[in-house]
Amino acid sequence: MYVDILNHLGTGIATVLSPENLLLLALGVLVGMVIGVMPGLGPSAGIAILLPLTFDLDPTGAIVMLAAIYYGAMYGGTITSVLINTPGESATVASTFDGFPLARQGRAGPALVMAAVASFVAGTIGTILITLAAPAMAAVATSFGPPELFLLVVAGLLTLIVVIGRNRLLGALSALIGFAIATVGVDVGGGAQRYTFGSPELINGIDFIPVAIGLFGVGEVLYSVYRGGHLEKLGYFAVKARERGFWPTRKDLRESRGPMLRGSLLGFLVGTAPGAGATVASLMSYSVEKAVSKTPQKFGKGAMAGLVGPEAANNGASAGAMVPLLTLGIPGSASTAILLGGFLMWGLQPGPLLMEQNPEFAWGLIASMYLGNAMLLLVNVFCIPLFASIARVPFHILAPIIIVLCAFGTYTVNGSMVEVAVMLGCGILGFFMRRYGMSPAALVIAVVLGPVAEQTLRQTLIISHGSPAIFFERGASVVLLALMAALVLLPLLLSALRRRRVSTDHDSAEPVARR
Amino acid sequence: MQVHPRRRFIALTAAVLASVTACGQNDGGDSGQDASEYPSENLDWTVAFGPGGGNDIMARTIVDILEKEKLYPKNIAVQNREGGSGATGWGYLFKKKGDPYVISTTSGSFITTPLESDTGWTYKDFTTVGLFAADAALFVVTKKSGIASWQEWVAHAKKKGTVAVGGIGTVNVDFILHDLLSTKAGYKTDYVPFDEEGQLLTALTSGALEALVSNPGEVMGQVESGDMVPLLFTGRESLSKLPDVPTGESLGYTDLPTMPRGLILPPGVSREVRDWWIKTMRKVVQTKRWQDYLVANDLVEDLRWGDDFTTFLDETSEEFERILKERGAI
Repeated sequence: MYVDILNHLGTGIATVLSPENLLLLALGVLVGMVIGVMPGLGPSAGIAILLPLTFDLDPTGAIVMLAAIYYGAMYGGTITSVLINTPGESATVASTFDGFPLARQGRAGPALVMAAVASFVAGTIGTILITLAAPAMAAVATSFGPPELFLLVVAGLLTLIVVIGRNRLLGALSALIGFAIATVGVDVGGGAQRYTFGSPELINGIDFIPVAIGLFGVGEVLYSVYRGGHLEKLGYFAVKARERGFWPTRKDLRESRGPMLRGSLLGFLVGTAPGAGATVASLMSYSVEKAVSKTPQKFGKGAMAGLVGPEAANNGASAGAMVPLLTLGIPGSASTAILLGGFLMWGLQPGPLLMEQNPEFAWGLIASMYLGNAMLLLVNVFCIPLFASIARVPFHILAPIIIVLCAFGTYTVNGSMVEVAVMLGCGILGFFMRRYGMSPAALVIAVVLGPVAEQTLRQTLIISHGSPAIFFERGASVVLLALMAALVLLPLLLSALRRRRVSTDHDSAEPVARR
Repeated sequence: MQVHPRRRFIALTAAVLASVTACGQNDGGDSGQDASEYPSENLDWTVAFGPGGGNDIMARTIVDILEKEKLYPKNIAVQNREGGSGATGWGYLFKKKGDPYVISTTSGSFITTPLESDTGWTYKDFTTVGLFAADAALFVVTKKSGIASWQEWVAHAKKKGTVAVGGIGTVNVDFILHDLLSTKAGYKTDYVPFDEEGQLLTALTSGALEALVSNPGEVMGQVESGDMVPLLFTGRESLSKLPDVPTGESLGYTDLPTMPRGLILPPGVSREVRDWWIKTMRKVVQTKRWQDYLVANDLVEDLRWGDDFTTFLDETSEEFERILKERGAI
């Protein structure tokens, strides 16, 4: 059986290795990164914009390019998260928590490189898992109904506890504002309109993108100006690319190994469940890393593990989302839903028979995922110094550029001025939230996950006639409940254990890295 | 004429770069020229939904035919103006009153979105060209359920009392179909609305739902592999890919609603322009490419030109409004 898989994979790689397809791959990664760097434009926007252009290509060439755009845009979003604290899409929200503090300490270089490495490792592990275990993983995907999805989203929401910081009351208030924003739009449960004031622009609710860009991007710029940041020199890239401090140290690598592996596996598993995907995965990974960390107090202040884990998780989830798409013809995320549209357009019937009937296409896609990841790492090694030089621009010049980019990016997504207004309003909100010690991160998490949580809970309760017992009657739900309990109890357990160990031996402290 | 693949590839490369640098530029040209020389300007084609969806695929197929058959003498620019379940795109068309060089394709939301929110327009405002096809739905259960026919399903549902069924949205044809079918067959449902096809399908496979309605294309893969079993098709004729699946009509459920796949112009466009488009579209729907498109996308041909299309919209909209009001959804 594995011989078969290797054969197919060989055919796939041979298909992708044609000069035309390789060029499409490189082009896709580059274009994807450029799109991803625009605040607001993430993988699904990138694929959506470029999908029509691929209709004239043969299906394999088209999918190769789109997969490359997918990965490229995913990583592009990380760049803005780290450099200007602006997540380009919901899956990179968690990357701002420690990525931006790292950049402010002058460690943007190591942060970006490690994020690229984490993306590469997770993407590759995910692709290997698809190669070997896609049909088995499909069983996981098909056992996810509304109850399971609800539990998964709740697990993502647990991150709120981790991010709200010291002032619990203000943190909880931030999250509640987020949940309130999330209620705007047509109530999917009953069709009633909530806080739309009859406006067609608000029927689909307030999107996460303008809120996140405003709160993080514009809010951060305003706050920096308030603190006099425009008078200072920006220290993001204190060292140049040729110097040693630009690249990750051995300590960074050692600290990242565990988070990378855990993030990859967690991301892949969560990614296979349709609906929650990369965002939930990256948030969960952040909680997990903080829970198992020996130095949880460093989280939020520039812990490498807090960046690498979520980065690995969101790329792992991107790979995981391909499982239901390829094996069942069921889209697991916004991006894969657009890819599915592409499948139909190219005359392919997505479904359980796709891999049998179109092996060249399916394995070409899988092969392009291997090569796309490698290409991304390669492109990044050359591009990060370039981004570094852009970020050395003085802040008083950079600040207006960031605000223009934020407005431009927000407008481009749906071409809506209402969303630009929402974005600017959230920018002002973000400033005051920072000023008074509230948590923009908690608000954004609530905006992203609130609607999914509400919808899946209501679906669950319609099915069970209002009884929560349904969560204990379905096998997959029970497994998830057990995992959540572990996630909550693990930090308590570990810290108790550690306290005991510290009292018995004093060697447990990490030796300081030799330089 | 077959374009050399490499040249096409270079053109694509250029197009990608151009689209990245010049994303979303559009200036919606002047209008109101004399109809005698129509068409003499570039056409601005609005898709009210995102790329890759049903509406988008139909629009791009028609544009492709118009270009390949040289039926439209000037350039056609397709723009995805998505948002608000079609409100943005058709709202754009609504504002272009009298402009004969702006056009758009319709789908189900063309009726439901104005019922659902204050869009400022309804289907009545636009100049209708024609209806080409009806988008009907497939009613499916899982193989695991052991149910193999519509009769078995009804018996099962009646025995159980209430069954959980799913579809997309609340103010939508899926809700109406479940409502009509269960009322007429005499069983009760708990309708669970979803907003994504993927979650709807896994809700069925996970056993949370017992049945769902969906566009045939979305479940065809699962049906072909035998994991899902189709029990009923809501179109007037059977699907060519699934000739054995009974239609609603053959089981005694007449007048099940379908969604309109047609073409509209802005309000107040002259009769001459409308007639030009009717004449042109009559040629388009006869091409092999169009017929292939219908089969590939599981659409049932349903041709109604001009005022016949308006009548169809009237009937469908009234029916929807009545049922949705009865159920308190709007």
